[in-house]
Amino acid sequence: MIDLALRVRGIRKQYPKVLAVAGVDLEVRRGEVFGLLGPNGAGKTTTLEMIEGLTPADAGEIEILGLDWKHHGREIRSLIGVQLQSTSLFNKITPREALDLYGAYYPTRRSAQELLELVQLTDKADAYHTTLSGGQQQRLALALALVNDPELVFLDEPTTGLDPQARRSLWGVVRGMKAEGRTVILTTHYMEEAEALCDRLAIMDHGVILSEGSPTELIAQLGLPSIVELTFEGPAPDSVSFSAHLGLPVDARGERWEIPTADPKSALPAILGAAETCAVPFCQIHVRRATLEDVFLHRTGRSLRE
Amino acid sequence: MLLWRQFTMEWKLYLRDRGATFWTFAFPVIMLLGFGFIFRGGTGPATTLVWITRTAAAPSDQALEQALAQTPVKVLRLSPEEASARWAKGETAAQLESAPNGHHLRVNSYLMAQGQTAAQIVQQANLVAQAKAQGLNPELIPVSLESPGGRVAPNYAAFLLPGLLGLNLLSIGLFSVGMVNVAYREKGKFRRLGVTPLPKWIFLLGQVLQRLTVSLVQSIILLATGRFALGIHNQGSYPEFFLVVIIGTGAFMAMGFALSSLANTVEGYGAISNLVFFPMMLLSGVYFTLDAAPVWIQKAVMALPLSPYIKALRGIFNDGAHLSNYLPGLGLVLIWGILCFGIAVKRFRWT
Ligand SMILES: Nc1ncnc2c1ncn2[C@@H]1O[C@H](COP(=O)(O)OP(=O)(O)OP(=O)(O)O)[C@@H](O)[C@H]1O
Ligand SMILES: [Mg+2]
Repeated sequence: MIDLALRVRGIRKQYPKVLAVAGVDLEVRRGEVFGLLGPNGAGKTTTLEMIEGLTPADAGEIEILGLDWKHHGREIRSLIGVQLQSTSLFNKITPREALDLYGAYYPTRRSAQELLELVQLTDKADAYHTTLSGGQQQRLALALALVNDPELVFLDEPTTGLDPQARRSLWGVVRGMKAEGRTVILTTHYMEEAEALCDRLAIMDHGVILSEGSPTELIAQLGLPSIVELTFEGPAPDSVSFSAHLGLPVDARGERWEIPTADPKSALPAILGAAETCAVPFCQIHVRRATLEDVFLHRTGRSLRE
Repeated sequence: MLLWRQFTMEWKLYLRDRGATFWTFAFPVIMLLGFGFIFRGGTGPATTLVWITRTAAAPSDQALEQALAQTPVKVLRLSPEEASARWAKGETAAQLESAPNGHHLRVNSYLMAQGQTAAQIVQQANLVAQAKAQGLNPELIPVSLESPGGRVAPNYAAFLLPGLLGLNLLSIGLFSVGMVNVAYREKGKFRRLGVTPLPKWIFLLGQVLQRLTVSLVQSIILLATGRFALGIHNQGSYPEFFLVVIIGTGAFMAMGFALSSLANTVEGYGAISNLVFFPMMLLSGVYFTLDAAPVWIQKAVMALPLSPYIKALRGIFNDGAHLSNYLPGLGLVLIWGILCFGIAVKRFRWT
């Protein structure tokens, strides 16, 4: 039997006007880093907050570290660490005080000093929360999520608003947790981050999970491992007649066309031929490997940061 | 212990909000000093009578003037033009006009209570003047201002102090506790706590205890101000007085928490709390007695916590009565407090 950190069956959440989560199943193994991807409004935060016990689910089952909310609410809360998408603390509390206070709520805890060093906030340790910058508040929220030395951590967009160095250091924290055998569930809008950190990913949109697997599996599932890109000077022209001539779908994206293909060797001459015939004024052509971003675009039909 | 941590942290954060802290303590003191100086004379509020002067004064005017000097009415002599200007502005409660064929009184319907009091006093003074003119010497029934417990207060503000304190604590409970909690919940300040194992009752009790100590400090400041600035003394025992303060404040805070669980927004809370606050304040017997109200209203009002609370505060403070006289009323307040706290814990939401 596989040791599951999280097992979710058919959770749903209906808000007055939107079905935010329309039946989600998830299984996350212990020691895994699991990523939840999806465009804005896909239902990621709602899904996480139902699992964290903050938002009541309308239906479905949730089992965390073998425990269920109904009977083991306090134990679950003691074992998990949570970074909410936005963490609002009392205005005049300082990071050190917040870590000490929240730490006191748990049976096991890490020292405030150690956590402040971990998220590089020692020089702001005694400043009021309201005077911290957005990224510093975000780092404090991460430290708070780790204050109880949790078995399972939920990080909702942990790197949004962080500078590149702070982002790398968060990656280090996540990898460190994984090395210690802990489980991390995170959401992100950065594909390179998902690719770098996550063992497995789920892509969701409109409240449902569209596909799931390791980054390489997801790319392979797409069945189109290569992308031919034609770049233009200025906005890309209309691709309809070119696409008809070529007999392959073409995605116009800003200043380029993207043509996914399973076989770039034979596609390339055909593309060049069609471009010649249709007098396409492209300035560059190149072939690249499909990435998670392509998987995302195909599954959701939307760009991630739209 | 967790409750202690929660309590001390609440205090720390509270003191850091200097503006709010200052006003919490300064406001009741300013109110008390204001009333204390206005009513320094010892009696309650006096009313002013506008008397329109005529050029040729009749002898009966002089007699009336002498008689009025014996009453608490303050006479303001004005020319007909000045008087009609003042009347038009709505500042005159009662106005006396003397014509050769007699006097005429006008009472402002907007200031009915004051105007009628003034009018009655004028009528009485006029009867005295007439009696004297006929050679009689009318005798007035002596009146003294006393508290129900029989002690004479040196200052009208002494009667106000316990009521002021009681209402102030009620408004802390309903507005500063309940409203602040709804505002914080609306802003998502409790969400992060909702994913920790912190029990709701500890969070709530920590807040109640902190606000309770705030109100104790507030009462001490108010009592000290009354004593040293206005010479108002507590006639009863201090421990008993503070015990009543604690019971009442705790109950009203619990009520604030319970009400805050009914509202999702600050605006909604404003409506709900006014719906509770105004009837309770008006029906509590703090401003007028309810002898004229239907019996069922009087019975229902007996079950409200504000009136027994204020009665106990006044009884101890103004009359030096013992706590034991107020036990049933205070028991009622305590029951309200416990019920409300139960509802608050049960219905409390982090989000
Ligand atoms: N409290 C709420 N009341 C009503 N609708 C809500 C509420 N919270 C979320 N929604 C709606 O539910 C849907 C899913 O929202 P959710 O926050 O889960 O998206 P998300 O995937 O986390 O998006 P993002 O990437 O922007 O964080 C959205 O359409 C949102 O408008
Ligand atoms: Mg979100």
